[in-house]
Amino acid sequence: MATEGSERFDQVDWSDLSRSGRFDLSINSIGMLLTTLPLALLAVYDTQFIGDRTPTFEFIGLDRTFEAVDFFFIFTLFLAFWYLVLPLYQNPRMTRYYWKEFKRNRPAVVSMVWLGIVFVGGIIGPLVMSAPQQELLVAYQPPVFTSVVESTPATCVGEVMNGRCHGTWEYPLGTTNAGRDVFTMIVYGMTISMQIAFITTTIVATIGITFGTLSAYSGGWVDEIMMRFVDIILSFPTFLMFLLILYIYGGGLGMFIVVFSLFAWGGTARYVRSKSLSISEEEFIKASRISGASTYQVIRGHVVPNVASSIITQLTLLIPGFLLFEAQLAFLGVGDSTVPSWGQLISAGRSDLSYAPWIVLAPGIVLFLTILAFNFLGDALLDALNPEAEAESE
Amino acid sequence: MSDGQPLLEVENLTTTFSTEDGTLTAVDGVDFSVDTGETVCIVGESGSGKTVATESITKIINTPPGKIEGTVRYKGRDLLSIPGSELREIRGNGIAHIFQNPQEAMNHCYTVGWQITEALQIHQDVSDEEARTKAVDLMDRVGIANASSRFDDYPHEFSGGQKQRIMIAMALVGDPDLLIADEPTTALDVTVQAQILELLDDLQDEFGMGILFVTHDLGVVAQIADRIVVMYAGKVMERGNVLDIFDNPTHPYTQQLLECLPEFGGTGGGIPGTLPDPHDPPDGCRFAPRCEYAEEACRTGEQPEEVEIEPGQWVSCVHYGPGGDPSVIGGEEFGIAGDTGATDGDSEVGPADD
Amino acid sequence: MTEPLLSVRDLKKHYPIRKGLFNRQVGAARAVDGISFDIEEGETLGLVGESGCGKSTAASSVIRLEEPTSGEVVFNGNGRGSASRNPDGTHPNDVTEFDDDELMQFRRGAQMIFQDPSSSFDPRMSVGSAVGELLKVHGMSDRHRRRAIVEDLLERVGLSASDFDRYPHEFSGGQKQRIALARALVLNPDLIIADEPVSALDVSIQAEILSLIDDLQEEFGLSLLFISHDMSVIRQICDRVAVMYLGEIVEIGPVEEIFTNPQHPYTEALLSSIPTPDPRASVGGIELKGTVPSPTNPPSGCRFHTRCHKVIQPDGVDIDQDDWRGLLNFREKVITGEIDIDQVRENVAAGGSDPTDSEVRAEIRREFDISETVGDPDLEETLSEAMNLLLDDNAEMAGEFLSDEITTPCAQTEPETTVHAADHESACLRHEGRAAAEPNPADD
Repeated sequence: MATEGSERFDQVDWSDLSRSGRFDLSINSIGMLLTTLPLALLAVYDTQFIGDRTPTFEFIGLDRTFEAVDFFFIFTLFLAFWYLVLPLYQNPRMTRYYWKEFKRNRPAVVSMVWLGIVFVGGIIGPLVMSAPQQELLVAYQPPVFTSVVESTPATCVGEVMNGRCHGTWEYPLGTTNAGRDVFTMIVYGMTISMQIAFITTTIVATIGITFGTLSAYSGGWVDEIMMRFVDIILSFPTFLMFLLILYIYGGGLGMFIVVFSLFAWGGTARYVRSKSLSISEEEFIKASRISGASTYQVIRGHVVPNVASSIITQLTLLIPGFLLFEAQLAFLGVGDSTVPSWGQLISAGRSDLSYAPWIVLAPGIVLFLTILAFNFLGDALLDALNPEAEAESE
Repeated sequence: MSDGQPLLEVENLTTTFSTEDGTLTAVDGVDFSVDTGETVCIVGESGSGKTVATESITKIINTPPGKIEGTVRYKGRDLLSIPGSELREIRGNGIAHIFQNPQEAMNHCYTVGWQITEALQIHQDVSDEEARTKAVDLMDRVGIANASSRFDDYPHEFSGGQKQRIMIAMALVGDPDLLIADEPTTALDVTVQAQILELLDDLQDEFGMGILFVTHDLGVVAQIADRIVVMYAGKVMERGNVLDIFDNPTHPYTQQLLECLPEFGGTGGGIPGTLPDPHDPPDGCRFAPRCEYAEEACRTGEQPEEVEIEPGQWVSCVHYGPGGDPSVIGGEEFGIAGDTGATDGDSEVGPADD
Repeated sequence: MTEPLLSVRDLKKHYPIRKGLFNRQVGAARAVDGISFDIEEGETLGLVGESGCGKSTAASSVIRLEEPTSGEVVFNGNGRGSASRNPDGTHPNDVTEFDDDELMQFRRGAQMIFQDPSSSFDPRMSVGSAVGELLKVHGMSDRHRRRAIVEDLLERVGLSASDFDRYPHEFSGGQKQRIALARALVLNPDLIIADEPVSALDVSIQAEILSLIDDLQEEFGLSLLFISHDMSVIRQICDRVAVMYLGEIVEIGPVEEIFTNPQHPYTEALLSSIPTPDPRASVGGIELKGTVPSPTNPPSGCRFHTRCHKVIQPDGVDIDQDDWRGLLNFREKVITGEIDIDQVRENVAAGGSDPTDSEVRAEIRREFDISETVGDPDLEETLSEAMNLLLDDNAEMAGEFLSDEITTPCAQTEPETTVHAADHESACLRHEGRAAAEPNPADD
């Protein structure tokens, strides 16, 4: 026997063990609490103790301010770290297995690298690059390696040859009509895209999973009412609602995210419900119930993890929809023009398309690639996160 | 065995699948044959390649990723080399398949009657009216009570045993000469299993079909088989007449398989170990890693050549081959039967238990 | 005499069937309908029957995975052995009345193993955590201690401690059943309910798992309720066996007794349908026709009478048993309107010309295995009269006529339990008179 006598299952004195142990917190939850606390304090400080126009970080001499969206974004990053990334590290076997399955799909690996770049760019970019400033003198600079007719830019920063102005590394993707650096604006757009991706996913997943599992486990008329409510959500004219709110209160990025994600969880909830119902028929759920676990413990420990891994795909495929929708709204001019999103950049450059196409093309291609990448990723995750299907085929 | 050539003759059948982890050899050079009116059972643990072997006969496995080599002669024609159109003709009219899980083999959107008539009309040029009459006849023949009123019922309205009967009816539409039954009773209750086996027996008498029956249940084998093919890890370990194999199992694997049965005094605790990795099978005899009589010679080279130790009984084991010593294996004392042929559950099992 | 570890009395589990707009209850599927049995300490009781007979439902009701409709499940494990009944007749150890705390304690005394190794583990949880989950739920918060216990246990069931971190998909079916055993054992229960634990496994693996169960049972003095449809497995592992049919126990007794001297016709039929691995054994024996009737509307009297090969003939009738069975089947089919005279005509007409009435009669007799003339003139007359009504397309009249004229005591009287020998009981009318006359019938 590998262990000493006192660690045998038949020598445990159960009457000694109190039930207090049932409330012990996992390292993940402790980490989450410890990181969220300062964030919450900062948010309280920002809203209650300093003026609207005072930058949040003035007390340490930084001229940066945090909006509600920023606070929420950081919160979702914490969530993702403690409950998504850390578990992958804690369960290396499962991670290796997922990775082995995932890397079979080459386009998905490339997509992940691309999304990694967008993510890192979105987080770090604004910290190291100052926001693009209006400089009319350098408007319409062409991207590096290309050239335009000398008369297009106000003054050509690069060299002028044969009457054509060549791009420079100073503005690798050229500049806009106001002389803003397109590259910097795309990097700032990455932040916006990541904020949209993370916050909507968190809201949709939270409401969807809670609502779906509750509905599945309540059953009876509660289930009936909840599902009819989902029908209402699904058939609600969200776009008109958004326009209405926009005219009454004015819209910002936060408003966009909140309105659209509050009406996007219907499908997820419905999927979660049916998935929970089928999972609760599995024998491991019965085994868990017989172990004495409470319904909450069963749902939290078995149903939600199994449901979550299958809705990750669905959520991944939801994100491109939001990104595209934001771009479309911006293009139509109903978005918040102060938000430096890719859509706003495309919208700003549309009138200059004939002689300065890079202003539209650069963010357009980035947006296209990002949406494509999310789609590839969703497909690959569907295959990779399904260990039992694989095991049976062998 | 019978006059002239057998109904089905499989020689050196090899089926491989190309997978991410390399080539998987599911069936590796298998020989066996089925005569008209005879029942041959392929026995083995799950993963032994018995299902793939039967599915390779009519090429109903997907190629690629699968790849089938060897010869499969059905009435003298090599099924692996004839064109697809002829093969399809044979699949319906000459060789029919029934599967383990009738639920999955049926289309739940159509009535069972529709499914049988469809199968009929694919192979025979009959009017709707005639097809219906024939389908009802078939349902009646396989023991569905009130066939004509159940004709328009959907699969979910039938019990598991009845569904398997319907599957048999569908298999019979082309009046096949060979019926390949892949664990048709494994998903059923014993009482229903007995009914289905009885039905297959009756139908065999009536239609003179050859039956190739895949199972892991040696009780079923004893009940229906004329001859047995014992497969392990894609190879045939032993084949021969049912009486010979039950009375005098020569291959250590066959012996251990029989020892798992309580009727053979089986409290031996199963066969230790697991099937080898089909991507990388061991050298020499496939069973050597789990065999208690394995010697150095068993672990090198290829699977030993099959040796005919009794007329019609072939075994692939080093100890029976040239230079081997069969007395190493305590086969003589084996069996429930003894000389009298009476069942005796307590008979000694030979030196197998040490 | 000490009290048994588990004592089940008149346990019932009915599933309501609801229909219509307002979900009115229109009936109930009586999955388990009044079963009683005891399990002594260290004993293995087998529960055997066809699928749909309610054996799995019985198991989940006993362990309170589902709430039983009525009945009593007295569990004397967990050191609560010496309790006696309350003045109002209830038992303090009745599992069906346990509150949350008592139920939690009961969970440590009784655990379960399931049939399907592929779905009995959470695919996203390492097997070590899956086994350790039980310890955690019951308050052992020390992670290292949990790990030590589970690793030790994994070794005891024939795996290695390093398997702790592996995931279910990395194990074969047999290995998963070993882990399932570890999970059932980890709280050190007195009783384990095993619901078809080996039926999804290969024979060679079955034998391994069964001998492991045997060893563990001996080592830790476990009691086992072993559910299976496979009689040969039951014979290998059980001390006593209870045969279930349609929600009721029809026969219960020591395993050798049941196998060598079955008293209930259903047990006989079940035994004879096991394929024996002896190629010389005669095939067949008693073939049980048809399927288990619906538990929503079980047959009256003895529930097995619709399929029984030994169904009793009424007083004054003494005909060939096969004919009697055929007559009853015919009666049943006519009453339920399942016999389609046009269909019979069509079948006969397969030769060509329009069939004559006598041909149709012969066909009906053939179909129901009734000989050309039934050995009792009255019954023969009843039969031809009924066939006449049928041929006149008057199936309803024929049904009424038959249900009046042909009756069997089996359909009218519910059989009482008869004691044959120590611990060997069955519920069949054939034994009732005899048992009263000679309380200790000789074994034949």
